[in-house]
Amino acid sequence: MRVLRTLQAFLKRDFLIEVSYRTSFVLQFLGIMFSVLIWFYISRVVAAPPTTPGLDGLDYFAYVLLGLAFFHYLSAAMMSFAGKVRNEQVTGTLEAMLVTPTSVGTIVLGSSLWDFVLTSFKVVVYLLVGWLVFGVVIHLDSLLSCFLVLALTVLAFSGIGILSAALILYLKRGDPITSLVASLSALLGGVFYPPEDMPAWLGIGSRFLPITYALHALRRALLRGSRFAELLPDIEALVLFVAVLLPVGLLAFRFAVRKAREEGSLVQY
Amino acid sequence: MPAAILAEDLGKIYVKRRSLREMARRPFGRAERVTALAGIGFEVRPGEIFGLLGPNGSGKTTLLKILACLVLPNAGRALVDGIDVARHDRAVKRRVGFVTADERSFYWRLTGRENLHFFATLYGLGAAQARSRTSELVSAMDLAGVADQQFMSYSSGMKQRLAIARALLHDPPVLCLDEPTRSLDPIAAKHLRRFIVEELNARHGRTILLATHNLQEAEEICGRLVVLDRGRVLRQGSVAAITAGLPGREHYMLRVRDLPDLPDDARWSLGVERRDGDLARIDAAVDRGGVALSDLLRRILDGGGTIQACSRREPSLQEIFDRIDAGPARPEEP
Repeated sequence: MRVLRTLQAFLKRDFLIEVSYRTSFVLQFLGIMFSVLIWFYISRVVAAPPTTPGLDGLDYFAYVLLGLAFFHYLSAAMMSFAGKVRNEQVTGTLEAMLVTPTSVGTIVLGSSLWDFVLTSFKVVVYLLVGWLVFGVVIHLDSLLSCFLVLALTVLAFSGIGILSAALILYLKRGDPITSLVASLSALLGGVFYPPEDMPAWLGIGSRFLPITYALHALRRALLRGSRFAELLPDIEALVLFVAVLLPVGLLAFRFAVRKAREEGSLVQY
Repeated sequence: MPAAILAEDLGKIYVKRRSLREMARRPFGRAERVTALAGIGFEVRPGEIFGLLGPNGSGKTTLLKILACLVLPNAGRALVDGIDVARHDRAVKRRVGFVTADERSFYWRLTGRENLHFFATLYGLGAAQARSRTSELVSAMDLAGVADQQFMSYSSGMKQRLAIARALLHDPPVLCLDEPTRSLDPIAAKHLRRFIVEELNARHGRTILLATHNLQEAEEICGRLVVLDRGRVLRQGSVAAITAGLPGREHYMLRVRDLPDLPDDARWSLGVERRDGDLARIDAAVDRGGVALSDLLRRILDGGGTIQACSRREPSLQEIFDRIDAGPARPEEP
C-alpha cells in the first residue's frame, strides 16, 4: 500500500512537471501525427506486397505503425531508468530522496513510471491515428493477451534499463549497453521491416532480442486478431528473457548502490 | 538513555578510481587513497546542539553523510539512538533529518508546497498527514505566503528554510545541518540561527548536529563541538574550553583617546590599526590570565588616555588550528 502511494506521488510529481512545459507537452503529440504521416507516405513509395516474407499478409503501413508505436516502450524501458537517475543526480534531488526511508528500488522505479504512462498514451495515439485517419484495422479481441505481452516486454527491457542505471550509478558515464541493444533492436527486431527479409546470417540475430517476439505477438494479436494459444510461443520466449534479464539488472543495481555508498559517490556524476 | 549520536573510532578512506591512461602506464600501481575521516570519536547527548567545526575538506560533510546513510564507513561505527547506520539504514533515516548544503535539491518547476508534499510521501506520510504537516511546516518556517509559488522563484533564504522544512517532515529527533547559513546574508543567517536554537532545539527538544566553518556561529549556538582538521578530531568540548586551553595570547580590541607612549612590556604587544585624530583603534595581544590586561589598561589610564571600548576578539578558525598545532596535546573534555 505504502509503495503504491509512493509511486502515485512520483506520477503526480512528474505529471505536474510535464504539464508545466505546456508547449513541449502538446508538441510531443503533434510529433506523433507527423511521424505517422511520414511513414504513411514512405509505405506508399515502398508499396511492399502483403506476400513479402515476414509481413504475414499484413499491409506494410499497418506493420510499421505497430513497430513504431511499440518501439517507444522499448526506449522508455531501457532509457528511462538510467536517464532519470542521471537527471536526479545532476539536479541534486537524488540525495534528497536517498536520505528518506524509501528504498532505492522504489525511487528508481517511481522516477521512471511517468515515462511508461506517457508512452502508453503515445501508443494509444499512434493506434488511434492509424485507425481513424488511415483506416488500419485494429482487432481488440485479444486485448488481455496484448497486455500480457506488453508487460513481459517492458519487464524484459527494464532488466536492461536497470542494468544501465546501475552502470550510471557506478561508472558515472552513459553505458554502451542500451544504445547497442536499442540499435540492434531497431536493425534486427522487426520494427521497420521483417527480419525474414534480411540475409539469413543477419536475421538470425533477431532471435536473441525480446522485441522480435514482442512485435511478432502484438502484430498478430492487434492486426490479425490471433488468439492466446497462437501467441504462446512468443510469450514463452518473453518469459525466458524476463527470467534472465530482470534478476541480472536488479542484482547489478544492488551491487552498484552498495559500491557507490562505499565510495561515497552515490550522488556524484 | 542512549546517546543521540555516537561515533566510535569512525574512519572513511576514499579510493580514487584510476584513469585508463594511468592503468596503462602503471598496470599494477595502487589507486590513490584519501583519508576523509580517521579515528573519529564523539558523543552527542539527546537534546544537545553539537557542532562540527572545521575548514573545507576537514571531513564534516562526509561525517554527516555517514549519519544520513549516504556513505558507508570503512572503520569504526556510528550509532543514532543506538542504531548502527551501516546496518539499519532505514531505521536510522526515520530518526534523522538531513539538510544538505546544496540548495538545488528541489524540483524547480513545482511549488514549495508540492515539493514538500512529494517528499512527505517518501518519508511514509499518508496523504492527509502529508497535507497537514506541509501546511504546519510552511507556517513554522515563515513560508506560507510563498508556498504556492514555484521553487525557482525563491530566494536563497527561502530555499534554505524549505530544506529545513523538508528535513522536519517526518518529525525526526535528530537533525543534521550541513552549513545551513552558508548562502545567507547576515540578517537571514541570524534569524535562522535563532530559529535553530529557540524553535528546533529549545521548544521541540531536537538534537542538532551542525557542521560549520564559522567559529562565531558555533560559539553562538553550539553547547559543545568537535574541531576537525583533515579528518581528525583536534579538540572537543565547549568553544570557551577549546579556545581557553590554547597556547598563545588573547586578543582585545581597544579604542583609546589620547593614547600615551607606553614603556615596553614583554606581557603584551600593541598594534595600532587605525588613527582618527586623537582616537586610536588598537589590537592588543595580551598574556592570558587577566593580570596583564589589567596592568595594560591601568598604564593607559595613568598615562592620560581614555579607554572608550575594550572587547575581546575571538581567534579565527585558522588561528585556532595554528595554535592547536603549536600547542601541547590536551585531554578531551567530557
